[in-house]
Amino acid sequence: MSTHKSRTTRTLGAVAVVSVALALTACANRSDVAATGDVFPSKTITFLTPTSAGGATDLTARTLAKELEDEFGVSVVVENRPGGAGSVGIQYLAGTAADGYTIAVLPVEVSLLGHQGYDIDPADFDFIAQANSQPGSIAVPVDSPFQTLDELIVAAEADPGSISISNAGPGSIWNLGATDLGLAAGVEFTHVPFDGGAPAVTAAVGGQVNAVVAGIGETAPAQKDGRLRVLAVLTDDRVPALPDVPTATELGFDVVIGSWAAIGAPAGVPTDVVATLEAALKNAIAAPAYVEFIESGGNIPFFRSAADTTAFVQTESERFASLLAGS
Amino acid sequence: MNDAITGFAALIDPTIGLCLVVGVLLGTLVGAVPGISATMAVALAAGFTLTLEPLQGLAVLLSIYVAAQFGDRVPAILINTPGTPASIATTFDGYPMAKAGRAGIALTSSALVSAVGALAGILILIFAAQPVAAFALRFGPAEMFALVVFGLTMMVGVSGGNVTKGLIAGAVGLLFGAVGRDPITGDTRFTFGIPELSSGIPFIAAIIGLFGIAELFNQIIESRKGKSPKPITQLGEWWPNRAQRRELRKPTAIGVGVGLVVGVVPAVGGDIAGIISWDQARRASKTPEKFGTGSLEGVAAPDSASTATMGGSVMTTLALGVPGDSVMAVMIGSMVVWGLQPGPGLFVNHPDLVFSLATIMIAATILALGLALVRMRGVVKLLTLPQRYLWAVIIVFCLVGTFAVQNSVFDVGVMFAFGLLALVMKRFNFPAGPLVLGLILGPLAEGNLRRALLIDEGAALYTSPIAVFLLLLSLLAVTVPVIRSLLIARKIRAHAHTRTH
Repeated sequence: MSTHKSRTTRTLGAVAVVSVALALTACANRSDVAATGDVFPSKTITFLTPTSAGGATDLTARTLAKELEDEFGVSVVVENRPGGAGSVGIQYLAGTAADGYTIAVLPVEVSLLGHQGYDIDPADFDFIAQANSQPGSIAVPVDSPFQTLDELIVAAEADPGSISISNAGPGSIWNLGATDLGLAAGVEFTHVPFDGGAPAVTAAVGGQVNAVVAGIGETAPAQKDGRLRVLAVLTDDRVPALPDVPTATELGFDVVIGSWAAIGAPAGVPTDVVATLEAALKNAIAAPAYVEFIESGGNIPFFRSAADTTAFVQTESERFASLLAGS
Repeated sequence: MNDAITGFAALIDPTIGLCLVVGVLLGTLVGAVPGISATMAVALAAGFTLTLEPLQGLAVLLSIYVAAQFGDRVPAILINTPGTPASIATTFDGYPMAKAGRAGIALTSSALVSAVGALAGILILIFAAQPVAAFALRFGPAEMFALVVFGLTMMVGVSGGNVTKGLIAGAVGLLFGAVGRDPITGDTRFTFGIPELSSGIPFIAAIIGLFGIAELFNQIIESRKGKSPKPITQLGEWWPNRAQRRELRKPTAIGVGVGLVVGVVPAVGGDIAGIISWDQARRASKTPEKFGTGSLEGVAAPDSASTATMGGSVMTTLALGVPGDSVMAVMIGSMVVWGLQPGPGLFVNHPDLVFSLATIMIAATILALGLALVRMRGVVKLLTLPQRYLWAVIIVFCLVGTFAVQNSVFDVGVMFAFGLLALVMKRFNFPAGPLVLGLILGPLAEGNLRRALLIDEGAALYTSPIAVFLLLLSLLAVTVPVIRSLLIARKIRAHAHTRTH
């Protein structure tokens, strides 16, 4: 009786194993068919982001991925590789195949981390496009005695180190922004790095620091709510989100700095593949869904060509190196 | 009042009900799988909900957030592995209860007090959002440092009787907390050139290792020795009787109180609230010696506290535009896309929204509670499995969960390393609680103290009333037990003295 039972079990088990195996081979066949095409892209594209799911950079990747899927007719899968201030994901990209099937959002950190002890060099990547720009700004609590940037600078001049400015973290782009402003004005600020942009802005809203340097995506809504007063934007021209706020350059301080996101691949992708990706990204970056998403965050959707982005990232990297040395 | 009516009325829509159910099911599920945290689930769901109407999307996201806090208790109680960091303190008494054959009552009580905590937090959200948020804004670096110092005094409490070994474990935790980039200068410390370590020890991987993997290894060793470890085959009573319900009252009240305060403070969440309230309830208990050995009070306090933080976190998020915890940080991203910029302006532009959100959370709490109570019977079947199969299942969940946090094999290695460390600690009777406390609070203490020193050379530490109050409280927390035990010792000696006469 018991042997009979165990034989039945064994037979049933064998049937189960075989059917699962068959099901798996069926899957394999399908992907083979897809992979045999010659024209790029003929299979799934992996879109890496060196950040955790849910943040602004991740959502940038997801919004663009959706547009690229429509454009190409293949799946574009977003993969999060967070950790090490973005270095883990960026280094991971450098090690993937340069065939255009792995692309990534490369945030401003790609031109910063190499100067901060990480093994990252912009030359290891082919930049395909710039996708947006996140201008910097300097803001004070709404009940602050400083009404203009000049007044803040004068106070810092009178008592060096007495003006504290919060930023998103040590060596972050906004730390460099505050450093740049100090250098341009020839004054000494006390820089207070926080663990991210939101707490840095909160510290200014709560009056714990005299000012904050942060992206307009964070300061513009706070100004609208009456929590912060933005003294200047760190851009070439005034920004649509804050039309009444002067640029630092207008006020005589030559500071233009901001965060940005580029799209890149490991170096060595065939030029025709880069061109295909570049054209598709140009459309994706102009797509209403993407424009709306970027603008809702207070930032500026912005396309720059592959060649121009490569040059831009290089210039930024050199500029950041000297700023980091000065901070 | 009109806003309240509009807010509630906006929810009379069957699709929102559907979104709620989906969210609660998902949340309970991800909560119960160690490693997959509410933050991750909300982040992934956010990718899909962006195309929905704002209220529908928020119904999904908020109910995941709420329900995960019910699901995560289950592995904490049954396999000593917190489903999410919010249930770290649940393992302190929940698992000992389960081992003593009282898992049923631990699970039911945990679900009940979690619901009480959640509802209390949401009520505060409805009635006191704006004034309380203004209070939260006063927590600058100095006040945060003082709060964290108070948290660090809990190390003695979570040492499980052996204070010296507890403090050693705590010091090791602080050392691990120092790994990564310096919070002010950005220099890397103790990373040995490993880029993954530059953002610190991956926290989820570490706690899964410390609690789940260590317990698993320990059981395997015990059974290899032929000691046939006592499997949790019986769940015991399900419903707390009247005496037990009365026993739940005080720790739940303490938990709710602690949870509300901690929830309102930006950037600290259910994990810290749970540990603080466990220790506060122990101090206030008539039977503090039972804490850590399977006390029902020790389950009620942290579980009510960690759910009570949710109302506070949502409040801080909506009223200040500052994420109250990591889930809220993700949620802000979605809300901005929907055109609902959190911040004081939200109360002016969308006053009804707060009521809608609170109602969604109340509905999610009730649903999650119901699901928790119904589903628990199914857990019995899981536990009748022979232990070796259970071990295999647990290890797969721990592996997958840890890997999924940031798609990182390195994290899996960290999980095993911490599992081995905790195993050694367990064999030599070093408690894991203080180590976790050091790991969570160390970086917060350091960063905030150094920020406070940068801003005004630390003057706020002795001029801010909040900071002074919290620091005095910490001083009392450390000194009072010592003085009390000295007094008791003297009384006993005096007593013995008179007797010999």
